[in-house]
Amino acid sequence: MLKKLFTPKTIILLAAVCLFPLVAYGSDRIVDFLYQRGILLEIPSARYLLRVVVMACLYMLLALGLNIVPGFTGLLDLGYVGFYLVGGYTAGLLMARLGWSYWIALPLAAIHGALWGLLRGAPTLRLTGDYFAIVTFGFSELLFRIVKNEEWLIGGPNGFVNDIPAPNLFGYELYAYWQQYYHILILLGITIIVVYRLQHSRVGRAWAAIREDERAAESMGINLREYKSLAFAVSAAIGAVGGAFFAQFQVNISAGAFEFWESIFILCMVVLGGLGTIKGSILGAGILGVLGELLRPFGGWRYLIFGIILILIMRFRPAGLLAPKEQD
Amino acid sequence: MAQFLEQIINGLVLGGIYALIAVGYTMVYGIIQLINFAHGEIFMFGAYFAFLCVTTFGLSFWVALPLSMGMCALMGMLIDFVAYRPLRNAPRLSALITAIGMSLMLQNLARLIWGARWRKFPVEATPTVLTGNAIPLPGGAQVSFLDVFIILLAVVLMIGLNRLIHLTKIGKAMRACAQNRAAASLMGIDTNRVITVTFAIGSALGAVAGVMVGLREVTEPAMGYYKGVAAFAAAVLGGIGNITGAMLGGVVLGVAEALGAGYISSEYRLAIAYIIMILVIIFRPSGLLGKSTATRA
Repeated sequence: MLKKLFTPKTIILLAAVCLFPLVAYGSDRIVDFLYQRGILLEIPSARYLLRVVVMACLYMLLALGLNIVPGFTGLLDLGYVGFYLVGGYTAGLLMARLGWSYWIALPLAAIHGALWGLLRGAPTLRLTGDYFAIVTFGFSELLFRIVKNEEWLIGGPNGFVNDIPAPNLFGYELYAYWQQYYHILILLGITIIVVYRLQHSRVGRAWAAIREDERAAESMGINLREYKSLAFAVSAAIGAVGGAFFAQFQVNISAGAFEFWESIFILCMVVLGGLGTIKGSILGAGILGVLGELLRPFGGWRYLIFGIILILIMRFRPAGLLAPKEQD
Repeated sequence: MAQFLEQIINGLVLGGIYALIAVGYTMVYGIIQLINFAHGEIFMFGAYFAFLCVTTFGLSFWVALPLSMGMCALMGMLIDFVAYRPLRNAPRLSALITAIGMSLMLQNLARLIWGARWRKFPVEATPTVLTGNAIPLPGGAQVSFLDVFIILLAVVLMIGLNRLIHLTKIGKAMRACAQNRAAASLMGIDTNRVITVTFAIGSALGAVAGVMVGLREVTEPAMGYYKGVAAFAAAVLGGIGNITGAMLGGVVLGVAEALGAGYISSEYRLAIAYIIMILVIIFRPSGLLGKSTATRA
């Protein structure tokens, strides 16, 4: 794996990724310098660029997490935003209301998310196809309504949690966008490694077997209950980590960020890149994450375009932009 | 007591509307095993079509209603033709994702065309029969003419649909396709035509429901999503694929929702539909009237 990782191409890519904030802030300086000499350059500011990229990275993390259930085990999850919500509110409430450290809140959020994943998974283990999709959808909608309406639980109307503090690392507050950028990069890197290692292990092969034919997998001795539960828990934990990051990045969160369409947005990314592939999830989330931020001012057009993308991809390239190779 | 009676009537009206939408979901599911997420959006477009007919084109309500049904029938057939038919033999997941994409696209199309703001059906365009005074009921409760009209219309349409399914040739073909599409095709039934007709009928009934909701409540782009989900829950409750079940599920869900909204909290009216839907799927996936074939789904 190491040999494959350190080819010249990947090293250049890694370097570019790591040096991105430097380039962004550098271009800011150049724009400033030219502006003082009367030349106006229309380049987006480093803050904006970094924000777009951080959100895209967050979506990559979420897409990787979602991909585990529909991509690896073949069960359509329409309620992934539910775990994102659980993570966001766990971390947000622990930090803003109880003053806990982010470094404790983050793993707790992941564990809490995984618990919900198991909880949701338990009654749905026997369900397949459409019925599973509907239960996941109803589950996330219920969580959304609870957070939106239960003020005693959240402490604010419409699920408002204000002033979530920045993570504190050895006395440094990590609030600047470049710090957030490296922060999400590290989380994303860990997620990629975890998902990659899982996919190329006994577990990943069991998942693939379940996806291809549940009954055949069971008759080959794969414990459906265990492997499906594991998929739900890992997927949910990654979603919750994303939520925890989102909470401290946004500083203020409200229920509106966790609506049903967010689940579809993430699904759209996974489907665009190719269900069941790590590269596909990253590519799809990269494209749609950036596009989503750029199209944000256009409101309605955004989701209209996402809808059309879903339809076109299913019609003309159902395996996604990066079609998966046959597993050996 | 009066409040209870009014909530029950409220629930019956809501139930009639849900039943009209739910048969669209269930008929399509019965034949091609697809949850047509876009059905809620067709319902919403039905409300907008009627609204446009009476406001922009100044037509009478009694012309607007059948026009809207026709437009929605066309729309349903078009959606099937463009999006679902090419995927008929693709994995089920692909078709389901396409349906979600279609729903997302149509809902936001409506938002772009007509704006996110809700609109009230103009009073002057509403037939005077429907704006009549409330009819007093024993116990001090009241029921409006519109509510009576909606319940009657839903009942008439449901009986009509039932007769169509059981007495006509196309109805027989639809039942055959629902049992086994491949076998029906081998018996010389043009299954594609049956599917098209199914989409047309379901969409037209959805349009009626849309117009009724537009009259009684408001017309807005998000209505297809809210009412669509509840109607889908009704279809699941009755046993998906089962038309009588969809009607029964619609009424049960409508009454449950009205009572829940009246006595528990109106914030949770949709949550009641979700909870019923999840419980039914987990404990009795075949629904109230379905046969025990649901594991296949």
